[in-house]
Amino acid sequence: MKLDPLSVPVRAAESVVRLAWLLVVAVIGSPALGGGISGPVTVVVAGFVVALAYQLVYYQRFEYELTDGTLDIASGVVSRRNREIPIGRVQNVDISRNVLQRAFGLAQINLETAGGSSTEASLRYVSHEEATRLQSELGRLKRDGTDRDPEDATPETELFSVTTKELALLGVVGVDLRLLSFATVLLPVVAPSLRERFGDPLLGLAVTAPLAAVGIVAVAALASGVIAIGNYYGFRLSRRNDELLYERGLLQRFSGTIPLGKVQTLTVSANVIARRLGYASLAVETAGYAPGDAGSQSAVPLAERDRVADLARSVEAFEPLELERPPKRARERYVIRYTVLALLAVGVAFAADSYTSLTFAWYVAVGLIPLAWLGAHLKWANLGYDVQSEYVVLQEGFWTRTITVVPYYRVQTVLDSQTVFQRGRRLATLVVDTAGSSGLTNRQPRALDIDADRADRLREEIADRLQRSVSQRRTRRRRERLRSIEAERPDDPDPVA
Amino acid sequence: MDETDSDRASDRPFGAELTPATRRVDGSRPAGSTPDIEELIGPEQTLEPQIQGVWALQSAVSAVILGLIAGVAFTLLDPGGPWVGVVVFAVVAVLGVAFSVLRYRIWAYHVRTDSLYLRRGVLTRVSTVAPYVRIQHVDTRRGPLERAFGLATTVVYTAGSRGADVSIPGLTPQRADDLQARLKQLAIAAEGDDAV
Repeated sequence: MKLDPLSVPVRAAESVVRLAWLLVVAVIGSPALGGGISGPVTVVVAGFVVALAYQLVYYQRFEYELTDGTLDIASGVVSRRNREIPIGRVQNVDISRNVLQRAFGLAQINLETAGGSSTEASLRYVSHEEATRLQSELGRLKRDGTDRDPEDATPETELFSVTTKELALLGVVGVDLRLLSFATVLLPVVAPSLRERFGDPLLGLAVTAPLAAVGIVAVAALASGVIAIGNYYGFRLSRRNDELLYERGLLQRFSGTIPLGKVQTLTVSANVIARRLGYASLAVETAGYAPGDAGSQSAVPLAERDRVADLARSVEAFEPLELERPPKRARERYVIRYTVLALLAVGVAFAADSYTSLTFAWYVAVGLIPLAWLGAHLKWANLGYDVQSEYVVLQEGFWTRTITVVPYYRVQTVLDSQTVFQRGRRLATLVVDTAGSSGLTNRQPRALDIDADRADRLREEIADRLQRSVSQRRTRRRRERLRSIEAERPDDPDPVA
Repeated sequence: MDETDSDRASDRPFGAELTPATRRVDGSRPAGSTPDIEELIGPEQTLEPQIQGVWALQSAVSAVILGLIAGVAFTLLDPGGPWVGVVVFAVVAVLGVAFSVLRYRIWAYHVRTDSLYLRRGVLTRVSTVAPYVRIQHVDTRRGPLERAFGLATTVVYTAGSRGADVSIPGLTPQRADDLQARLKQLAIAAEGDDAV
């Protein structure tokens, strides 16, 4: 099959737009052209014609075909590339349509596999109908590979759709509270000018600090609100057979499938504001995406905590959490670490006050020292892990608390590490590595600063449970295969032989 | 495949028993070809002592660079002179050698029944368990410095994001090949499943 013919002008236009910045530089750089706009126009037209010719060849030399077991793609103008992607290996199938593509009725379809560092196959562009056909066809073929259920037209069941309220809250919750700490860092820098205005530096600080904080939060909330609405407008999550389907986006529409059989880890995260309001978000991670490709993994952008927990349990049936905390001596580590940082800050402020012409209220920084204690406690209090029968659950983070659910079956390697400082307190960090792309938090699932002996035992225990779940799956698969052989040959009295 | 395997059987410790790369799909195997797992596993192993030389030389290179930077910088500055560079070089080099020795003493790997276990690290001590069911492929690698010292590295790949972390340096080429063959056999026997 070929791409949609309309993709030729659209792609050509896109490549011209992509080069537009060159044009801007050229126009600004050469004032001689200032007389008329004929120069730039000629460049644009010439560029478009060249791009059109190239894209026409690209279109002619691009072919794809969906067979029973593979998606075959032959592409390339100068260097040719023939690919066969086994359908059973396809992870996510995503469709995206920006405004231009929507105007032309086109869509881009991206296929992710676990191999490679980028999107495995990208069809740019096919008609929207063709994209949805491919998506559902891929889903159907994948299912046929695993179980032979002839029933096809399974309806979608809606799991979640975002309400206007949640969309608005998403903006508020999306504010990065760490911005506030930037404000406190910036304030001493602007303090001298404030002092001139107010006479008393402390008074100036007292008046402007809350104002600045409110201002920053307001601007950030507005910005993140706009981004949230752009990304998650009309968000809808539904389930069809063993796939999750999502749709989202205001200007650029995204829709895609997340195969449940390929889920690596689940992450429930909530920042301070979301926790206060009783909300959380859910991310479903597969092995498909390259690290850093965070946006597409989000399964539920924001919903009430209980709903998120229910949804998460419908994907992976983990038990209610009974988190174990790291030992109290872990907290001492953080107290020391943060106190050292606070003392450093005091030192820097004092040095700047004494040796530069800037005047700081350096003694204000002393207030950071008690905050170090608070911070240490909050960090400690938000750590936890729970070793369940099928899953290991790991929790970390105060500003954004993330709870990661890792099925033993998805574990790739287990490791525990001890830094010099941890050794002194008999603490260790246990890292559970999966094939998931961990793009959302960019941090591996880990249990930070647990007892060293416990980490030692847990490492072996998790590896053992992995073995057990692999062999369980193997037995189940064999049994299923035998059953399906039996079903195919009803006349045979002894199908096993 | 069969021919090359039997050709090389003499210099491969497990050559005679190597199972073909293609297995019967149903998981059962013809009698007699089952690899004896007991024979493949072994006690905890240490690296070859020559690896200390490789590591020491590697740290010497960074000591030279740091020494040069410090030397040039302090020649231009008022207090100090080129001798600072020498001091920096000496300190970094001594530290490097000390770390190489310590790292060698701590490094250990263990081919266990169902997983490969590694312990390493001087300042941050790391113990890794890589189950055979998760092994994707096993490489043997020899860099120029390793070749000069007659050493090789075995790298075990999993689908995990830290896959390349599971590498065992400081083996003789024979040991590296032997380990690669063992791990390959163990991975086949484990009937792995990449779970992606």
